[in-house]
Amino acid sequence: MGKFLFYRLLQAVFVIIVVTLIVSFTIRLTGDPAVMLSQGSGSVTEADLEMIREALGLNQSFAAQYVQFIQGLVVGDMGRSFVGGAPVMDLISRALPATLWLAFASLAVSIVVSIPLGIKAATSRGTWVDQLIRIVSLVGLSFPNFWLAIMLVLLFSIVLGWLPPSGMSGIASFIMPAATMGIILTATNVRLVRTTMLDTLRSQYIMVARAKGLSNTVVLYKHALRNCAIPLITYFGLQFGGLLGGIVVVERVFNWPGLGSLAFDAVAARDYPVLQGVITVLAMMIIVINLLVDIAYGLVDPRVRKE
Amino acid sequence: MKNGKVLLKSLLASVALAAAISAQAGSLTIASPQDPGSWDPIDTFLVNWASVATNVFDGLTYRGPDMALVPGLATAWEENEDGTRIRFTLREDVTFHNGEPFNAESVKFTFDRLLGEEGAQGPQRSNYTAIDSIEIIDDYTVDMHLHQPDPVLLTKLAGYGAMIVPPQYIQEHGSDHFAIHPVGTGPFQIVNYARRERVELEAYADHWGGAPRLDQLTYRFISEPSTAIAELQSGGVHIVIPPTVPIGMIDTIENNRNTHVASVPSPTVEALRFNTESGITADERVRRALIMAVDREAIVDSILAGQGQVISSFQGEFSFGYDPEMEPIPHDMEGARQLLAEAGVEPGASLQIDVRGGDATFGEVAQVVSSYLQMLGLNVSIRGYETNVLLNDIIPEGRTGEMFQQKWGGWTFDFDNTAYLMYHTGERWNPYDSDEELDAMLNEQRSITDPARREDLLQSIARYTQDRALEMPLYSINALYGVRNEVQNFEAAPDNRLRLTDVYLED
Repeated sequence: MGKFLFYRLLQAVFVIIVVTLIVSFTIRLTGDPAVMLSQGSGSVTEADLEMIREALGLNQSFAAQYVQFIQGLVVGDMGRSFVGGAPVMDLISRALPATLWLAFASLAVSIVVSIPLGIKAATSRGTWVDQLIRIVSLVGLSFPNFWLAIMLVLLFSIVLGWLPPSGMSGIASFIMPAATMGIILTATNVRLVRTTMLDTLRSQYIMVARAKGLSNTVVLYKHALRNCAIPLITYFGLQFGGLLGGIVVVERVFNWPGLGSLAFDAVAARDYPVLQGVITVLAMMIIVINLLVDIAYGLVDPRVRKE
Repeated sequence: MKNGKVLLKSLLASVALAAAISAQAGSLTIASPQDPGSWDPIDTFLVNWASVATNVFDGLTYRGPDMALVPGLATAWEENEDGTRIRFTLREDVTFHNGEPFNAESVKFTFDRLLGEEGAQGPQRSNYTAIDSIEIIDDYTVDMHLHQPDPVLLTKLAGYGAMIVPPQYIQEHGSDHFAIHPVGTGPFQIVNYARRERVELEAYADHWGGAPRLDQLTYRFISEPSTAIAELQSGGVHIVIPPTVPIGMIDTIENNRNTHVASVPSPTVEALRFNTESGITADERVRRALIMAVDREAIVDSILAGQGQVISSFQGEFSFGYDPEMEPIPHDMEGARQLLAEAGVEPGASLQIDVRGGDATFGEVAQVVSSYLQMLGLNVSIRGYETNVLLNDIIPEGRTGEMFQQKWGGWTFDFDNTAYLMYHTGERWNPYDSDEELDAMLNEQRSITDPARREDLLQSIARYTQDRALEMPLYSINALYGVRNEVQNFEAAPDNRLRLTDVYLED
């Protein structure tokens, strides 16, 4: 276990270095933050711009700036935002919980809906029920999420006035963003559950279980579902990582104060420290999720535990 | 017993209802597209800083939505002969939100800070470099010594970097603290700031101009237009401020029975500028022909839904230097064809227009312009760049096509702010042209303190740029505010600097 963790740690450091190196380098190819900063002001001379660059540390070489970033990272300091000078750590620690809560809620919505539907589709394979579920999920899959988000807002906030159209302010404000993300995930997940379930139901131990005279429910939910769990957990885990990246659009439409909108604004303002910080945190989280997925295998499958 | 409970319940409910109504009467919420991140005047560079901070801080002078310059923290001022010293008489009995008194010391501290080492790290200092030093004459009189006269200085003192800050508070708590817990002398004080979400303000009852009518004022930061407008329609916000409302959503707001659009000409102007160095646009006749070929009135009416005005030079009607007598070069397709033939431009000659790719409205404008130019027989292509790339690389490095989009505007509404940067040799926004006569005029107007003479010269500069056809001036655009009908006394500010002292909500 110790050796396993050690390799995982090495891997993590490597991934973070590669990812931040690429992002920091490419963002610097487009646009000068000093110019972005002084756009509202009337008469900016080259000398003024140079002074701002110096204040931001942009007059140093890319290598020097990058080394400084890594040095800071080791001691948990990600520098300060170019826009307004807030410590990047503060910005991220405000945004991270908002994103995590939303991602959890979306994944929960999708799991709760997709498992029963997927099983139902698998057990009624070839019937109209199966067809219906598959068509509905295909339709769900084809929705662009921003469109879905806007339609939800139109219906539930403007026409009916039931839900707040944006911001994070209590349980009610979670419903639409989580549903938007959740519906699209559900569409994929139903198909995944269905396929995995069909494979499992063909195996011999299911036949044995049935031959023993066990009830349908027990066969499905105790024997089959448990064996489906490994591919599903892997997939849900990866999906969680993907969610963190794909949440940008939904966060923007719902004005959700999370990492996605933070990253979006940082790109727009060429706020290098914030962008580097967000990317680092996202990379770390995806690494951690992968680790958790591996550990979860052991919990559901005794065979993995023994290895 | 049961009846008693019901009675108690309804009593409680009515109390709660009454409380809700009275809170509602004085609590206004605004959607602003961007969190400036710091409230310190010397850090600021964003218009949306000013739409909050104009309520929090005062300058020596004040300029409201009517564009007239009036006393602020200074009750009077007087310039010496050669325009190198301004003496300010300061308002007495003014206090900052923390109780600290305002006096000559605060003024000196503010400008020492702006022009010193701290100010050098921000973008505001460059606007005030005409100021040499502040000399305290007595507690309520200061002399501002200038390196050279700056005709726009009194206007600049009404906003942004020149807002007066409290010396004791900053010395005690430091600038980092001040940036998120700012203290000024304005009608509202900031009481709670949640980064990237909202900033909450409360009325400052001791304000020298009288207490504001609202009790509370909240700004929520919402960048996505459709989200901000959904909030407006559902009552989550009362006002959506520029630059949020897109032309395409005006009808959505107007058609809702609770909301309307308030619009006012803004300082923002758009032009398609020319590469005067190479390509067919190096020839003045060609440039003039291209301008004549485009019906700009039709563009404003159809694409901007009338929310703009055709301009004759690169400035709008509120700009100092705007000449109401000066006409735009008229739309004349036949004249354009002749001029183009005279210049020897062959049919099928190519012309590239560079635009900001993310700007949907201007994308349509560029399409229309290109179809007019195609009628001249030109082979026109439109190239969209990411805004930052266009502004930071393509234009300053002189790598544009024959024409490129320039969107411009400054809160001072002075043509100098545009003309110098666009036309003076060697300036960042002037990668192609060099004209000694124009340079001389641009330099001269900066040293004239007599406003009438200076206005004349600025108008001559505008005419000169039209004679040389340095750009295709298109239009000035209106600032669009989405407003709920219960908001009373709201005056749309052309420059987005909101001061909401007199605004209130009707039940």
